[in-house]
This record gives sequence, structure tokens and C-alpha cells, in this order.
Amino acid sequence: MPKKYHINSRPALLSTDYLHKFTIVRGENCINCGKCTKVCIYEAHKRRTDDPRKMADPDTTLCRNCFRCIQECPRGALEKSLSAEFCNIGGTYWKPDMLISLWKQAENGSVPVSGAGYRGPFTGNGFDSMWTDMSEIVRPTRDGIHGREYINTSIELGNKLNHLKFNSDGELASNVPDSVAISLPIIFDIPTEYLTPAIAKAILKAAVVIDTCVIMPVTAITPELEKYASNIIPLLSIGEIDAHEAILEKARLVAIEYSDDMIKDFASLKEKIKKFNCAVTIIRLPAVRNIESIAEKLVRNGAEVIQIIADYKGNEVDSSSGGRHLKDIIRGIHLRLVEDRIRDGVTIIASGGIAMAEHVTKAMLCGADLTAIDIPLLIVLGAKIYEALEKLIVMPEGLDKIPQPLITQRIVNLMGAWHSQILEMMGAMGIREARRLRGESGRAIFFEEIDKDTFGNLFKKPEMIKT
Amino acid sequence: MKPSTVLIRDIPSRFRHQVPKYKVTRSDACINCGMCAKTCPYGVHERNEGYNKINPPIDYRCIGFECLDKEFCCINKCPKHALSLSLNPMYQTLGDFRWTPDIITGTWIMAETGYPPKRTDIEYNVGNSGGGFDKLRFKFPSRPSGLDVSEISTEIPLNRRDDGRNNIVISLPVYGGGMSFGSVSLPTMVSKAHNATIWNTFTCTGEGGYPAILREYDDHVITQIATGLFGVREETVQRVKIVEFKYAQGAKPGLGGHLLGEKVTESVARMREAVQGSSLFSPFPFHSVYSIEDHKKHIDWVKEMNPKALISVKVSTPNDVDMVAVGSYYAGAHIIHIDGGYGGTGAAPDIAKKNIAMPIEYAIPKVHKFLKDEGVRDAITLIASGGIRTAHDVAKAICLGTDGVVIGTAELVALECVRCGNCESGRGCARGIATTDSNLADLFDEDWATQRLTNLYHAWYVQLVDILQKFGMRSIRELVGRTDLLRHIDYNPETELKADG
Repeated sequence: MPKKYHINSRPALLSTDYLHKFTIVRGENCINCGKCTKVCIYEAHKRRTDDPRKMADPDTTLCRNCFRCIQECPRGALEKSLSAEFCNIGGTYWKPDMLISLWKQAENGSVPVSGAGYRGPFTGNGFDSMWTDMSEIVRPTRDGIHGREYINTSIELGNKLNHLKFNSDGELASNVPDSVAISLPIIFDIPTEYLTPAIAKAILKAAVVIDTCVIMPVTAITPELEKYASNIIPLLSIGEIDAHEAILEKARLVAIEYSDDMIKDFASLKEKIKKFNCAVTIIRLPAVRNIESIAEKLVRNGAEVIQIIADYKGNEVDSSSGGRHLKDIIRGIHLRLVEDRIRDGVTIIASGGIAMAEHVTKAMLCGADLTAIDIPLLIVLGAKIYEALEKLIVMPEGLDKIPQPLITQRIVNLMGAWHSQILEMMGAMGIREARRLRGESGRAIFFEEIDKDTFGNLFKKPEMIKT
Repeated sequence: MKPSTVLIRDIPSRFRHQVPKYKVTRSDACINCGMCAKTCPYGVHERNEGYNKINPPIDYRCIGFECLDKEFCCINKCPKHALSLSLNPMYQTLGDFRWTPDIITGTWIMAETGYPPKRTDIEYNVGNSGGGFDKLRFKFPSRPSGLDVSEISTEIPLNRRDDGRNNIVISLPVYGGGMSFGSVSLPTMVSKAHNATIWNTFTCTGEGGYPAILREYDDHVITQIATGLFGVREETVQRVKIVEFKYAQGAKPGLGGHLLGEKVTESVARMREAVQGSSLFSPFPFHSVYSIEDHKKHIDWVKEMNPKALISVKVSTPNDVDMVAVGSYYAGAHIIHIDGGYGGTGAAPDIAKKNIAMPIEYAIPKVHKFLKDEGVRDAITLIASGGIRTAHDVAKAICLGTDGVVIGTAELVALECVRCGNCESGRGCARGIATTDSNLADLFDEDWATQRLTNLYHAWYVQLVDILQKFGMRSIRELVGRTDLLRHIDYNPETELKADG
């Protein structure tokens, strides 16, 4: 049995506040009676320290929405509303509640737990339109994250043989392709413009701790970072290959932006890279409408790893409105490659719009081998994202003053929380190997299918059901 | 037991103010003439005796925009046009997609008065989740049935096996879900049990043991045997009429129970035979069940211990929930209780609540059909839970194929839960419902809570009878599986129905 993989979280608080859901305003008719200080168990209401005869402004950062002060104030002097920033931030995909949750996970590394049932809509777009299955009475994983059985989240990048061949002497006759194993089905793909040297270093250290890799433009790899070479995935263009021999010699993985020429001649490109090292090449392929056929051609030409890059909300990049979501894009590619019997020849990375731990598991159930994340890493740093009117990411001020170890720990915490949550989902499904999540759509429940099967059959008039 | 004999009386909120839906704003133009105080029959405007200035408007008493057409409306009567009406931003902070502010307010009114709200400005039957129950509507016949309300029965039997065990008939197709001592306060538990006795139905202990104070309600308490076996004793199994095996819970399917350390107070720890302050995670699943045969062995074990008890098996809703249900029938269960993925909880990982297992709306028809095809539907009682918020949800669930339902959150909302979702941590519920903190658990007494629950059940009873009367049915049992009486607003839009004539 492999050594048990564990991510050590510890509190990592930034001195700045992030986002609060509620605003409480104290009206002028307050009589400073102090009832609110007695009823609030979260201590949002206090008297002023300089003048205890008066009430201080409510500390709404502490408000947990229990309504007691509102309902018990003898004068009805308190009013609560959603904070203006909460209403403005994010959007339909990056929901404000999700941002708060990511922030808290970075602070303490623990699985978000709350009371009361699910509060959100019945279903939604993209990953919100699927549920995951569970095993009721009998199953191979027991106790979920609290148990003794090991649930393995490691995956491999590279192509895999369908089967091994042995010669008559019993020796391995197959040429086993190169592959890279990481302990979590998540790699880091932070947008280049935010990758300052300090942040790059902090993220790399986190990647070392949790045993994953960071995609990084080759020009950003300073000599100081070279000691992390085995966790760096240099991103370069075909023309840059020869100029960065030293870096390529140490790399386990290399990332190259897709260009149409690759379809014809990926083999020679791969050769060129393998000349320095046995690094596995990741082709970064934007999620265009005909991505299935491009992916198929790439795999037939020897592609080892394909990273599907959807936009920041997980949508196709070339459709102005609508278009498919990452969930459907992955399913499309996966099923196409399975039908063509070449699925094992390639590793699929899903990226763009991976915002929560559940997206990792769901993307894998749809057919990805692993995921790459971007914006959640920025939110850990305090970035604010706005969808309307167009995508806007605002980085916090004083970012360069945050101590590097704190950034590292916050990323480690976030991944620790995600790891635990992935285990919760895998444990419930009874799957003990993350590799076996890939394409296990039988363990997923898709809204469009189950709703039609259930309500479509029950409520459509007989002549409307096509047989 | 005749529901008409249940005593209903007004039992007001514990709190001075209600959460307002509207906001009445008085501008500086006000000259304190007092016209508004004179005209408003709801008491929004008050002037204290001897004061010149009028008090700020009491928003929650306002009936809203429908008042604008009334002759007495303050907005129109104010000589200085100093008053205006808007939706109160506070209302948005109450509730969520599933439990909308209107459903919470409606439930509060029912718990207060014992009848469905008379107000027409709140939608208290349908939520805003955009799926499941919230997309189903009844197809009421246009002609009234003329059926006498007193002829209508909402009773359902729980033992359909005819095996010589207790022949239990409950008066409403509803009983209270398992909430453990530890997750909720003792007054909450006791009032649930007391109300179950009044309504001749049941409540469930959850898996935190069986407090001695519940003894007088033994005949209406289900004791739960869950994976952690907290507080399970031979004596408690022997003294009840129904024993429930909890395999899984809808809110956290595939995970065990969670009781965070802060809520494990001394009395909770004693009841659970655990250490004070240590988090209690139940395992998943039963460590003594590795097969359906083991499952049968469990049921046999309880049947041996208590020769009259009915056995309920509570499971959540995976893809193969139908097979599990049939398996439980063959293992000897009387009740199969399916708990959908959007069910309530005192503490669960958010990722599990949102994602794991299917919503109950899909599971009910699936299980109902499978049991029917197997030829055993009439020999088992199917109970559904996990997102049943209103009387309309109850009736819709029954139309989809269940015999009855279990509710949890609705009872807590009757006790003035606001669904803030902070039951799990620290001292627990700030409103004294889901807490074992010695100060908070005393925020209300059992009599108040029991009457609130009794009123809620009565309001639901009134609504269920109304639905049955509209359909011309004498018994709620006629409603089971009648999906033909429902329409789904996606698959049969109203326009299409009208075209049908």
C-alpha cells in the first residue's frame, strides 16, 4: 500500500477582509438599550469602547443571519440587507457564496460544513446539472475520509498501453510510454499576467507540498525557481524549444499551445522535446466547437496529453452566447475517443471554470483524467471577480506585502479542503482510485436524462413521446 | 382519532417583530398629522399617547401593494404624500431558493393560527428552486365535487404486511423526521413527540439516544438505529412501536452523521456514551452489514427483540434506490423510507448536500414503479422525505407514488427557524431550536412549541382535505401514484392544457 497521502492544513489568515454577505444598519431611533448585545451570540453588536453609553456600529462581518437582533430590538431600529458588494461581485457562474466558501477554505483548509438542507436551485447550468451517485448498503469504501481504508487520488499523465506484451521468456516486450504521476487530479494553471516572481515561487512551493505541477511560461522560470524544476510545466511555443534546453532537460512535463500544424506533424515536435528529456507534452487546446475532431486527430498523431481550455465560466471559447459547457465538451471528447478505441492513448485535462472541489470529481466522471485550476488560486490571494458587464478580475492591494509562506499555506489549505471533499464524493460512490472516476458516467446522474426519464415519461402526452 | 377534535389556538411569535416583506417609508414631508395612524387597520402606524411625533412605521404589519386599491390605504390618504411603499431589502436575506421568504412566512402564519394564510400576497405552496415539486401543479377539476369534508380521511396504515405485528394507522400521511438529541434541544424533541401524540402520528429520535423524558410518548416515537449505534439499547428498542434502521441520510448520503465537538455537551455525551467536546462522526455504512443478507439479519435481530414492532428502513436515493427498496421488502421491512438528496440536516458537508444522490422527486416514481412491477407495492409502506416543505409538496409526493412523507425542516420553521444554516457549530442555533447550549435551549418552552407544531399540522390537514375534496376523493390513499392529476410546467404548459378544453 502506498504511503497515505495527506495534506496538512493550518490556519492562514490574511489581515484583510474579503467579502461579507450582510449589512446591518442601526437606525436613528436606537435607544442604546443594549438588547442586541445580549441576543447576538456572534457578538456582532457591542457598545462603543470610548463611550459605553452608546452602541457601536454593528460588525456585520460577524453576522450569521439569525435575525435575533432584528426581531428583538424594542424599537425595530435595526435593518439588514444583502451587502452591496455581495450583490455586485461574481455572477451567475462565480456565485458570491462560492467565493466566500473558497476564501474560507484557504483560511482553514477544512471541508465547508453547514446546517440545514441544500439552499440552492434544483438544477443549473454546466456542472450544476449533474449529481453523483452513492452506494447504499454495500460498497468497497467505508467511513469516507474518517476511515482506515485508503482512497487514492493520484493520477498519471501520459498515454497508456491497452495491454502489455511479454516475450516467450516472460520479459516485457512492450515499449512502455513515459508518464508522470501526481497525487491529486489538479494542476495549477494561473494566468500569466498574475504570475509575479513572488507569487510564482509561493505557488510552486505549494505544488511541491501537495505533489502537483504548475504551468508557467518558460520566460518566467528564473534561475531561482529551477530547483522546483520537477514541479514546473514550462509553457512555450514551438520556436522557443531550442532556446530553453536547460529548462527542458529538467522538466517532466512540457506545455505547448495548440496550432493547426500539430495535427499533421505532432510526432516531430514530440521528438524534438524528447531529444532533451523524456518529458511528456501537454497540448493546450482551446475549447472550440469542433474540438472533438481536433482532439481525435491529435491523438491519432501521437498526442500524449491534451488540455481542454474553456473560458473562465467553462464555456466554449468561440460561441458568443450559449455554446456547450465544459461538462458536455469533456463528455463529447471522451465518448468520441472511446468509440474510436483510442481513449487510453491520451490524458485529458479539463480546465476553464473549475471553481469548486465538486467540479473536479464531476469533470472526471464526464471523462477527464484530471483538471487544471486558475481563478480559485487568485481568490485565495484575495482577488475579486466580476462577470458583468464583462470579465473583470481585481487583485487586492498590497499583494506583494503578503508573506510568501502565507500564500503557500493558503493554497495548500485550499487543496487540502478540495482533497477532503473529493474523498467525500469518492467515498460515497465507493470508488477508491481517482483514476477510476474517469468517464464513470454510470455513477453520475445527469439532469437532462433523469428529468426526461422521470417527468418526461410521466407527463408528456402519449403521442408526444417518440418511440 | 378525529383531526377535528384537535385543539387549535392562536400562539404568537416569540419575538417582538416579524420579518417584514414590505417597507413603508415616511419622508420629511410628514407633518405628524396622524392621518395614517387613524386610517391603517393593521397597525402599521402608531402614535403613542401624549406624543406629538408619530412612531416609525411597523413594516411587518403592512399587507403590501394590494392595499393601494383600498380606500383606507395610508399612501393615498396622507395629505402630504409623505409615505411610500417598497419591497423590504431585509426580506431577501430570509430564506433561499427552496425555502423562499414567502414559504417561511406562510409556515409561520400556519404555526401561529392553525390555518393556511389568508393573505394573498405570499406564495406559500411553491418554492423558487426551478425544478421538482416547484414545477408540478395540480390539475383540479373545474367542477366542485360537492364531497362533504367530514367524509374525507387522511389516515394511512403503516403495516401492510399482515404479519400479526402492530397494525398502526396514523391520522395524517406525515410524521416527524429523526433529529437526534444533540442536534436539537430537548424542548424541540419533546414538543415534536407531544405533537405526534396529539395528531396520532410519529416522531423519530434520530441517532442520539432516547431521552427518558420521552417515555410518556413511547407509542408515538420511532427509535432509530443508525450506524454509530449512539444510545441504542435493548430496552429502548423494546418499548417503541416502530424501529428505524438508518442506512443513510439524504443530506449526506454515503457519509455518516456529523455532530461537531462543540455541540457534544455533558448531557449529550452521557446519552451517547461518548466524551464531552469530541466530534462524533458516525461511520458509513453499518460495519456489520456487508450484504443484503446481513441487512436481513439486522432486521431479524430487532424483530426478535421486539415481537410487535414495525421495521422501517431509511435509505437515501442512489441510482439503484429501487433495488434497495425491493431488497428491504424481502428482508422483512414494513416501511421503506427514502430520503432525497436535498434533505435537511443539522450538519453536513456542503458538497454532499448539493451533489450526492438524486432529489426525492425522481426517486419516488422510480421506487413506486419498481415495487409495483415486482408485485409487492401493496405489501409495503413507502415513505418519502428530503425537501417536503408544504402541504402541497405532501400531496404532490403522494401523487408521484409515496404513501406518506416525513418532514423535518418544516417543523423547525414552525418553531421559528429562519434556515440560517448555523446549526452545526459553536453554541448551535441562535434561536434555541437546534442547540444543546444550556442558555439557548431555554428560549422557548414545550407548550408553546407543541401548540405551534399542532397548528402547523392542522393547517396542512386543512389543505390536504381541500385538495382531496377538489379531486372528489374520500381518502388520501386514493391519491397514491395518481400522476395523471399533476402537470409539469415544462412538459405540459398551461396553454396546451387550455387548448385541450
